[in-house]
Amino acid sequence: MIAEAGQLALTFAFALSLLLAIVPLYGSFTARQNMLLLAKPLAFGQFIFSLLAMAALVYAFRTNDFTVINVAQNSSSTLPWYYQITASFGSHEGSMLLWVLMLAGWTALVAQFSKALPLLLQGRILGILGLISAGFIAFSLFMSNPFARSLPFYPVEGRDLNPLLQDFGMIMHPPTLYMGYVGFAVAFAFALAALISGRFDSVWARWVRPWALSAWLFLTLGIMLGSWWAYNELGWGGWWFWDPVENASFMPWLAGTALIHSLAVTEKRGTFKSWTVLLALAAFALSLVGAFLVRSGVLVSVHSFATDPGRGLYLLAFLLVVVGGSLLLYGSRMNSVRSQARYQLFSREMLLWGNNIFLLTACLIVFLGTLFPLFHKELGLGSISIGEPFFNQMFYYLTIPFALLLGLGPWVRWKQQQVLPLVRPLGLVAVAALIVALGVLASMQSVQANLALLGMLLGAWVGISALAEVMLRARQFGSVSKGLTKLNASHYGMTVAHIGFAVLVIGVAMTKTYTIERDVRMQEGDTAEVAGYQFTLTDVYDLNGPNYGGQAAELDVRQNGNFVTHLHAEKRFYRIQRTVMTESAVHARLSRDLYVSLGEELPDNAWALRIQVKPFVRWVWLGGLLMALGALLALADKRYRRKITDPGVSHA
Amino acid sequence: MRKVLFYVPLLAFLALALFLLSGLFSDPRERESASLNKALPNFALADLMQPNTIWTPEKLKGEVFLLNVWGTWCPTCNAELGYLSELRQQGVKIVGLYYELPRDPAFDPPFDLAVLQQEVQQKLQQQGDPYQFNMLDLTRSVSLDLGVSGAPETFIVDADGIVRAHHIGDINPAVWRSKLAPLYQQWSSQ
Repeated sequence: MIAEAGQLALTFAFALSLLLAIVPLYGSFTARQNMLLLAKPLAFGQFIFSLLAMAALVYAFRTNDFTVINVAQNSSSTLPWYYQITASFGSHEGSMLLWVLMLAGWTALVAQFSKALPLLLQGRILGILGLISAGFIAFSLFMSNPFARSLPFYPVEGRDLNPLLQDFGMIMHPPTLYMGYVGFAVAFAFALAALISGRFDSVWARWVRPWALSAWLFLTLGIMLGSWWAYNELGWGGWWFWDPVENASFMPWLAGTALIHSLAVTEKRGTFKSWTVLLALAAFALSLVGAFLVRSGVLVSVHSFATDPGRGLYLLAFLLVVVGGSLLLYGSRMNSVRSQARYQLFSREMLLWGNNIFLLTACLIVFLGTLFPLFHKELGLGSISIGEPFFNQMFYYLTIPFALLLGLGPWVRWKQQQVLPLVRPLGLVAVAALIVALGVLASMQSVQANLALLGMLLGAWVGISALAEVMLRARQFGSVSKGLTKLNASHYGMTVAHIGFAVLVIGVAMTKTYTIERDVRMQEGDTAEVAGYQFTLTDVYDLNGPNYGGQAAELDVRQNGNFVTHLHAEKRFYRIQRTVMTESAVHARLSRDLYVSLGEELPDNAWALRIQVKPFVRWVWLGGLLMALGALLALADKRYRRKITDPGVSHA
Repeated sequence: MRKVLFYVPLLAFLALALFLLSGLFSDPRERESASLNKALPNFALADLMQPNTIWTPEKLKGEVFLLNVWGTWCPTCNAELGYLSELRQQGVKIVGLYYELPRDPAFDPPFDLAVLQQEVQQKLQQQGDPYQFNMLDLTRSVSLDLGVSGAPETFIVDADGIVRAHHIGDINPAVWRSKLAPLYQQWSSQ
């Protein structure tokens, strides 16, 4: 009964999204204010009914309603209650509904916080968002109904949630990631509305910026959580695999990063308009392409959903309408837009242009690397696969000039910058970076020309330069302490995000270089030595969880005889899905992780264990967190909240 | 010129959409075989049952046949013996390439041809014998040259000794009808 109510709610949401797509847009071209005014209530209604639909699905999962196919296939009565809730978006159907809900949520937020926008623009933006919503709700309703029943024959017990998804990281990862993907729809709608009206200026850029920033914030967090989840749950200590689905989330992130930088130029200098609009379109287009790749079965990946060519065809047609249509509009409208601003070769504009070029090159590399196997095959050249080495190599070459420019960027003025005044401070930063990098490696007793040295150098260069730049700016207000309180929140946001990038680079380079991994055979009481740590296996015993069994191992870790920590690693056997999962034991410190996963049982009561010592691996996620924090700080900037008292807002 | 430039993203996207569309209708897991449309690799393999007979690609020419890679250790291979025997009765020529598993000198007994012959004979008596004869690939080098990734795999080889199809996995009535029979008939009639 509740499931039918959910389906009904989704149908209502569909009707409202259709109205939202038609009425305000029609009103905007025929100048009817009453139609434009309808956009806001329609957006709220669409959100409420999407929320009701999601609530009904969660209810079906919590009450173990196995007559609903989706519940029967992705949940079980023995599943803990919190995973029953997350199971509601663990399948293709459920995740599509979550996607719909988030899109409706963003639309409602735009409706709520767009009082400052001219009514015409507001109506167009909401109408475009409604159009996108309608496409996705129709997909959910007609191509992948989450409420479909299997009556009259239904199972008495469900098939359980995929054990890989039974993890805390998985509770957080998909909603955050989707918030990011879908959030770019807002920037997309702003760009389209501007293309229709032909008006792009600093004011437009200032309106879009907070939306682009918040979408980017969620996407950053989502990717980071996914990486953290893979590290804990997949059992081999990796944190990024260049899997097609990861790449599908990385591409919009790269385009989004370029977008928030390009928006800065458009807001401050009124130029880069064609870039900014293209990037706003691209960030969401890449999210859509990603959704297509994951859900159509075109690519092989560990986490693609079950495939169905009908769904793929629908998504492709939708992609053609939305992306193709917007790019057509871009082609026909953009050539009439001119920028007046002039700038010299050495100026912040040029450096940010460089930033865009590098980020888009990175995006293109990921894109080609992900899709090349498909191109190759469809051109009749046979099957090939592109793996980690390609991506690692390319990103290695890209990161060096990118980080060098990044350290320089914030120092350089808009319009024109003299070279000479920068030589001394940046020279000092370079020397400091060299000292820090060599110092850290010397303390690890391993100074050699390797990836770690390069990473430390680049990281220190970016980090120190960002800090020094803040001090310099603060000093311009008289005293440093006074200046630090005067600086914009968005300036701090930039600095923190850049330091986050530095931390990430250091983390990646150090882990890649210094990770030590050993596969050992141990009996109870045995001790294995890895990188100066003694791991003693004290006990192995049987596990008995709610929906799994298996074994657990207890280890004591000592360093030079001093007790460091106790580790608890599990090897779970999920009874219903009959799969084995590794729950790695991790002891985390800023400078290193101790990582143990329990492997197979060997003859003579012995066990295979994989022991890893991973220096600086935390920095990878810390870097991501800092970048997200930077976006949060930038969002807190006062200028996005300034009340507009212009009485003429309603007729623009 | 500037005008055209702004349409580049659209053109790039349309090209991509075309690839995605064709990608929808092909199986990403399907692999093109490296040995397809090439002559059989050069080999000289002993007959499993009469080790004095040596088979070379030259001797196999003249008639279209199925080359079936198998072993008694492989359950799927044993399961398809029955249907393959039916095909033999329908007049399909099937040659076995016996894939012998690598041995661990520390644990496994040394290779004994008599034991293997007995095992194979027993298995074929139980499940049916589809083979004209079996060639023993003791070092697995011929299988490697053919691009075999596991057993069972089956090749269609034409009268000139050219590999015309490479099927990974078992052969059952559905696979035979939909995929292999048309190819077999096509190359038999040429």
